[in-house]
Amino acid sequence: MERIPILKMGDCLLVSIQVDMHDRLAMQLQDDLTAQIAATGARGVLIDISALEMVDSFIGRMLGHIAAMSRVLDAETVVVGMRPAVAITLVELGMSLSGVRTALNIEKGMELLAASMGAAGVGIHGAPVG
Amino acid sequence: MFIFSLKQPLFARFQTTLPDTAALAREIWTASVLLDKLGLYTTEVYQKSRDEIILRQHHEMLELSTPVVTLFEGVLALPLIGMLDSARTEIVMENLLRRIVETGSSIAILDITGVPTVDTLVAQHLLKTVAAARLMGADCIISGIRPQIAQTIVHLGVDLSTVTTKATLADAFSTALRRRGLTVTKNPASPTSAQPPATV
Repeated sequence: MERIPILKMGDCLLVSIQVDMHDRLAMQLQDDLTAQIAATGARGVLIDISALEMVDSFIGRMLGHIAAMSRVLDAETVVVGMRPAVAITLVELGMSLSGVRTALNIEKGMELLAASMGAAGVGIHGAPVG
Repeated sequence: MFIFSLKQPLFARFQTTLPDTAALAREIWTASVLLDKLGLYTTEVYQKSRDEIILRQHHEMLELSTPVVTLFEGVLALPLIGMLDSARTEIVMENLLRRIVETGSSIAILDITGVPTVDTLVAQHLLKTVAAARLMGADCIISGIRPQIAQTIVHLGVDLSTVTTKATLADAFSTALRRRGLTVTKNPASPTSAQPPATV
């Protein structure tokens, strides 16, 4: 069964969704990610959905849930690279993902994470970003 | 309807050429049916061409009325002019999101100085646009809110507390610059300089 890779980078976990999400994959990601956050003690989670072309209400809700779960485990979640069509779809579905932080691309997402973690007194040492 | 004015000379002609009453009545009836059909056809063609013109102008207006301009590096402005309906909001949203991706902007200013009235529907459309831009990682500022509109918004009970709102575009722009860590200073070397440079 296919899985979405979760990469560790400093204090952050990097999730890049490169395939079309279906419900099982989304549930699997939820499980894997929460397990990884607990195992590594990550302070930030970056979810790159730039390759995601289609979303439904389930995937939208899943993103919200992942963010909420991460927050419970003391990790910030930033969703990056959302496509315009996906953003419009989510808004039309009535899901504005108000609990999720967003950024235009990975670079800005990392800056955002670094800033919020820097404020908390933890930095991502050696990471080649801002 | 010039077609129907043909009737009078045509009937007069029939009266002089056809002495027989029965034949005259028959011919007049045939001619009337023909002229009526002709009149109907003319009206249909006229309406069709008029509808086409209206549709084309509508499209042109939509294209013209939704520009997205770059005010500064990373700051977009969207001067909205005219009524905001669902179709326009959709186009505005698509244009804005496309430009956000193209320019990598993090702040978008929605200027509603040119929007004559703001009702609940318009407010909802604005909030939708703001939500979509936020999902793309861009903050929105709504500017150009006239006093009457501010009163209307409050009376309607529309909740704009999730969005930064400013009275004028200038206010919104200076807020945007401040958020990006930029300040505008006067250049001491050229005191008459009309456009002071922005310094980081």
